[in-house]
Amino acid sequence: MRMAAAASLLLLLTAGCSGTREENERMTLSVFAASSLTDVMPDLVEVFQGAHPDVDVAVTFAGSQVLRFQIEQGASADVFASANEAHMRALEDAGHVIRSRALAATDLVVVVPLANGAAIERFDQLAQATRIVVGTPFVPIGAYADTVLSKASAVLGEDFAADVRDRIASMESNVRLVRAKVELGEADAALVYRTDAMNSDRVGLVPIPDAFNVQAQFWVGVTMSSPRGDEAGRFLDFLSSPPAREIFRAHGFRSAGS
Amino acid sequence: MTHRAHRSPMVGMGVLFGATLVGLLVLPFAALAVSTPLTDLRAGAGHPLFAPALWLSLRTTLTSLSITVVLGTPLAWWLASSRSRTARVTEVLIDLPIVIPPAVVGVALLETFGRRGLVGPLLEAVGITVPFTGGAVVVAQVVVSSPFFVQAAANAFRKVEPDMLIVARTLGASPTAAFARVALPIALPGLLVGASLAWARALGEFGATLLFAGNMPGRTQTMPLAIFSALEADVRLAIVFSLVLAAVGVVLLVAIRFVPVLRQFQGRDAL
Repeated sequence: MRMAAAASLLLLLTAGCSGTREENERMTLSVFAASSLTDVMPDLVEVFQGAHPDVDVAVTFAGSQVLRFQIEQGASADVFASANEAHMRALEDAGHVIRSRALAATDLVVVVPLANGAAIERFDQLAQATRIVVGTPFVPIGAYADTVLSKASAVLGEDFAADVRDRIASMESNVRLVRAKVELGEADAALVYRTDAMNSDRVGLVPIPDAFNVQAQFWVGVTMSSPRGDEAGRFLDFLSSPPAREIFRAHGFRSAGS
Repeated sequence: MTHRAHRSPMVGMGVLFGATLVGLLVLPFAALAVSTPLTDLRAGAGHPLFAPALWLSLRTTLTSLSITVVLGTPLAWWLASSRSRTARVTEVLIDLPIVIPPAVVGVALLETFGRRGLVGPLLEAVGITVPFTGGAVVVAQVVVSSPFFVQAAANAFRKVEPDMLIVARTLGASPTAAFARVALPIALPGLLVGASLAWARALGEFGATLLFAGNMPGRTQTMPLAIFSALEADVRLAIVFSLVLAAVGVVLLVAIRFVPVLRQFQGRDAL
């Protein structure tokens, strides 16, 4: 189990490096997707490809900010799926992405190792952790975690937020790397998306009160440079269709805007 | 004459090949320098991530270099002088971190010193925590960089003739004195090359540090990690950080090979 966690950690680290492949007969659609979509995207792709046998979909997963950077640098992506609106908006404003739309939503939870050595049962016990892991301020999950702590400090006191921030041992570049530190048992607690917590059987889930929580919205758009705009548009339409929404729901996502 | 005429195309080819490689190695850094306006440099140096990361990098790499030299010199001496099978096997084993990707080294270190690792729980029982600390940064650097020093040092020690040590001993020198006064000075240039290689490798270390020590500004975020983080926010900032790291690297690599005190030391012994 630990080996699997270690292996997935390695995969995550190299995920940002994989390129897109070209094929002559079949069209390959390159999708750059936020790490938090790692489990749901393959299911979506499978159904889409079933309906469009002429299209192959190759997905690259990484932190949204890394994918945004790669698109800014001219990476040959056709579709970008971001874990927040800000990165999508930035690309759209710079003329790199068009036709963006909200896709699905989730919120944040605290994950703890199954052994839960720090005995964290409630959010206000978060400071009992010796080691907390969050995302960097640039990756959406890190920015959301920062918002949660700021909101919490207004209610639970500035000391609580300062205490929690003091215990942050590492800031990871995508949500799966954040979760992996808890799966390995190296971190006592981490702030991740609810959907990432639900998709792992190696972590326990501690809810964050609604008063401090945030709605994390996933956005999707077509890149300006894509020579496969029509197919990319069809993929976007599929992602908003009832069958796709059913798949999102099965993975714990809510529909956008609810 | 025919001999010269025969050789010149070969020489030309050699120059061409060599120049191609030099260009390939130097050009990217020239591009980095050219693409950065001075105002960016000033803004980068004033960034809150910059000073703590640079300071941490210098502190941890000098610590890891010291540890590497202290632990690695006796090992290299043994590897150079022993003919045993154990020495040959050891030589291959200590090269493992060179061929294994640094990220794998990071995971392996977690599996060793982590909370569920081989020795992590034992250390934790006596109050020592390694992962996600400055100590983890140093450990990761020692693991990935020391093989370079040990290899170079062992090769340097192999140049020391055993006869010279025997002569020193017959002239009344103790084994320690013979090592310090005869073997060390002869091997010194090789040791310095090894030390500078190891130091450079430690300065650039990224993958193992990221996994084993984490990425925490001011605590475990060394320059390469700061560059990685900056890259996610502002590519120009990352370029400035990279330039500074490259410049620091050049200065220290030059310094370590041309320390005046060491040159005097070498000169005296050559007499």
